[in-house]
Amino acid sequence: MIRVEHLSKEYKIARRKPGLRGAAQNLFHRTYDTKAAVSDVSFSIDQGEMVGYIGANGAGKSTTIKMLCGILTPTAGEVKVAGIVPYKQRQRNARNIGAVFGQRTQLFWDIPARESFNLLKHIYQIPQHRFAENLRTFSDVLELEPLFGRPVRQMSLGEKMRCELAAAFLQDPLVVYLDEPTIGLDVSVKARIRQFIREMNRNRKTTVILTTHDMQDIEEICSRLIMIDAGRLLYDGDLRSVRQRFGNRRTIHFDLATPATDTGMPAQLAPWVFAEWEGRERVHIQFDARQTSASDVIAAMLQSYAVRDLTITDPSIESIVKDIYERGLS
Amino acid sequence: MTVWRYARLYLEFVKQVLKVWLEYRVDFFIGALSTIVIQFASLLFVTVVFEHIQQLNGWSFYQILLIYGIAATGRSIHLIFFDNLWTLGWQYIRTGNFDRLLIRPINPLFHLIADRIQQDGVGQLAIGLVVLIVAATHDGTVWTPINLSLLVLLILSSGVIFSAVNLFFATLSFWMVDSLPVIFATFSLSDFARYPLTIYNKGIRVLLTWIIPYGFTAFYPAASILEPAKFGLMALITPLVAVICSVLAYLFWNVGLRAYTSTGN
Amino acid sequence: MRKYIEIFKSQLQLDAAYNGWFWANAVASVIGLLIAFSFWHAVYRNTTQIANMNLPKMISYVVIAMLLGNYVSGVGNRLSESIRSGEVAIELMKPYDLLLKLIWIDLGSKVSASVRDSLPLLVIGYAFLGVQAPVSLAGGALFAVSAMLGVLIGTQFDLIIGVLAFWTVNVWGLRVLRRGILSIFSGALIPVTLFPAWLLHISEVLPFQSMVYTPVAIYTGAIPLQAVGMTLLIQAVWLIGLYVLVRLIWSVALRKVVIFGG
Repeated sequence: MIRVEHLSKEYKIARRKPGLRGAAQNLFHRTYDTKAAVSDVSFSIDQGEMVGYIGANGAGKSTTIKMLCGILTPTAGEVKVAGIVPYKQRQRNARNIGAVFGQRTQLFWDIPARESFNLLKHIYQIPQHRFAENLRTFSDVLELEPLFGRPVRQMSLGEKMRCELAAAFLQDPLVVYLDEPTIGLDVSVKARIRQFIREMNRNRKTTVILTTHDMQDIEEICSRLIMIDAGRLLYDGDLRSVRQRFGNRRTIHFDLATPATDTGMPAQLAPWVFAEWEGRERVHIQFDARQTSASDVIAAMLQSYAVRDLTITDPSIESIVKDIYERGLS
Repeated sequence: MTVWRYARLYLEFVKQVLKVWLEYRVDFFIGALSTIVIQFASLLFVTVVFEHIQQLNGWSFYQILLIYGIAATGRSIHLIFFDNLWTLGWQYIRTGNFDRLLIRPINPLFHLIADRIQQDGVGQLAIGLVVLIVAATHDGTVWTPINLSLLVLLILSSGVIFSAVNLFFATLSFWMVDSLPVIFATFSLSDFARYPLTIYNKGIRVLLTWIIPYGFTAFYPAASILEPAKFGLMALITPLVAVICSVLAYLFWNVGLRAYTSTGN
Repeated sequence: MRKYIEIFKSQLQLDAAYNGWFWANAVASVIGLLIAFSFWHAVYRNTTQIANMNLPKMISYVVIAMLLGNYVSGVGNRLSESIRSGEVAIELMKPYDLLLKLIWIDLGSKVSASVRDSLPLLVIGYAFLGVQAPVSLAGGALFAVSAMLGVLIGTQFDLIIGVLAFWTVNVWGLRVLRRGILSIFSGALIPVTLFPAWLLHISEVLPFQSMVYTPVAIYTGAIPLQAVGMTLLIQAVWLIGLYVLVRLIWSVALRKVVIFGG
């Protein structure tokens, strides 16, 4: 469905001069800095796959997605989506894809959601029976019914995102790009959205590419991960091996009541944990839950230090990417 | 085929807009009324001045009104249908919303234009038409089906020129996000067009004829009807200018679009 | 007082940042001047006097009025925006009087605008368009006082339009309406003395000619020095009247906010 070969994108960043006069000068004479946003990335995705495309901010995720959408022309390499080169035939490619771009709306700001969908029907030339059927199916899962009469600008973030998803799948696209579809939403809306994406994929074989910072999104939706860092492909493989490595990793952040005199770890913890000090009053302790338990770590720390506060977190996408980058995935 | 499809699609956009207008009826009337008041203010200005003089540089009150009427009607076409061009820089490119237009299976320029139909222009159209009728029945022109249909053609050309010039400068937004001041400054040149070009000095006349052809949005069309002996040729040139401007502006737009897709934002 | 002065100063700095708009406005203003200049020269081609004004006097009036006319609008826009977005609720909790704050912001931007925008245009006017100096030194000084009053009247009127955002959504329409009314009756386009008698009578009972016509007529000497005292008094009365009116509407609006819970 999607083939990407040796794809690269370099941005020329103009050194802007401020003001109108500067802007006028920029029109005629510019100096550039070159920045490689994506370098020599290759992968291929089959129909019906659900792929998590992850990396830190600025790693080149959205640049890749934009090239897949035809919004950006690559500097080098090849892209094909459903047999079409997106940047050459942008409008034809657009028929095959749907997209949710985070905070930006695909809908029409001022008009009620129902009318927004109706306009999309005309834009994508969706047959009436298909349109009606899709809208009915989507309403069931996403509970759109009460939103139909309201324009997007009067919706909460969660309500908006439910409409956005419906809009992205409305024209029966072959591929859907989802950029942070759950960011800032509460747990129940997140669950609903994940369920919807899974159902679409199961019933229609829609290929889904998901970029997110939420590990939960990936665990519940994706079977495959593509990781990118500083524009380069870092990892491409199934989710399982990543989960084996990181699924049991925990981090506990301790705030100390008094500055520590000694930044060593208690002896019983030392072999199992990795400690990172931030000054002498904060420490982040990483460990594998299969080797030692959170309660042991906390107990040992309470004995050695005057702990004021603590929080436990799952590993973030950034820390996983960093880890794979530094140590590889073996 | 494609034209037909776009025409139908445009109708769909219009339908949505009309629904919004109906929903905010009061706003619609305030909007339309407000532009009427503005137009009325400048008309009153001309009227008051003509209380004290018989003619302005050889042009009578009603002849000036005809120029004014063509300018107002042509401008209202631009205002109603092409107003969204103004917002390209700050509402589409800066916010990243332009990407939304690019992932749709239709021409992005069409999408941009269809995204908004400006209600305030309706007031301007109304007052432009009234002024035209008043002027046309008093300025001494003998109206025949021929010069009447010519007038319609010239007004349409005027609207197209306004829009094409704006498209040209709006396209700058692809390189400089804050192009709005430039568009604004250029557009203010069109104020010259409200009066006979003959009252201005040579530099301004050349500018408005050959460089930014706002002269063809009102004065030349009106003059070609009022003084066919001297300005008759302008009736032919005006539609030609409209076509040339549109083609140039559209080509430039495509250059801008290509720049956008190769540099991103 | 101190904090209002700070607000005033920060507005000065803010304005200096908008470079693109500075040039755009400059171009638009120069174009406006050129149109007015060409237009009035054409008008005077077959006559030497209109309503007791010769060409140099008319040009002086029109140019000064055009510059002054830029200052009759103000922060009403800002007020209505913050009402629409709901920000006003937060503003109201801050330890200052919102209306006073807005008036000081307004003064700040107007002071910076007068130096940045109007001064160069005035120089162009004197150097190239034949704008005359004020009739006398006293006339010049009284013009300054009267212009100040006129600008303050404009600010109050603008605030009225702004507060109306509590009741209507389309403030933009009201603003354009205001602009239309002002461009006729303030005298920014044309001296009100050129009006036919009936229109002049209407204008005389409205506050608008106090904004532009009165100061500029003092400048050109159309209002003789001995009559200036009276006109200044009329301006002052309008200013106080509008100020009270703004406060009244404001307090009614606030009660509405309290009732609906913002």
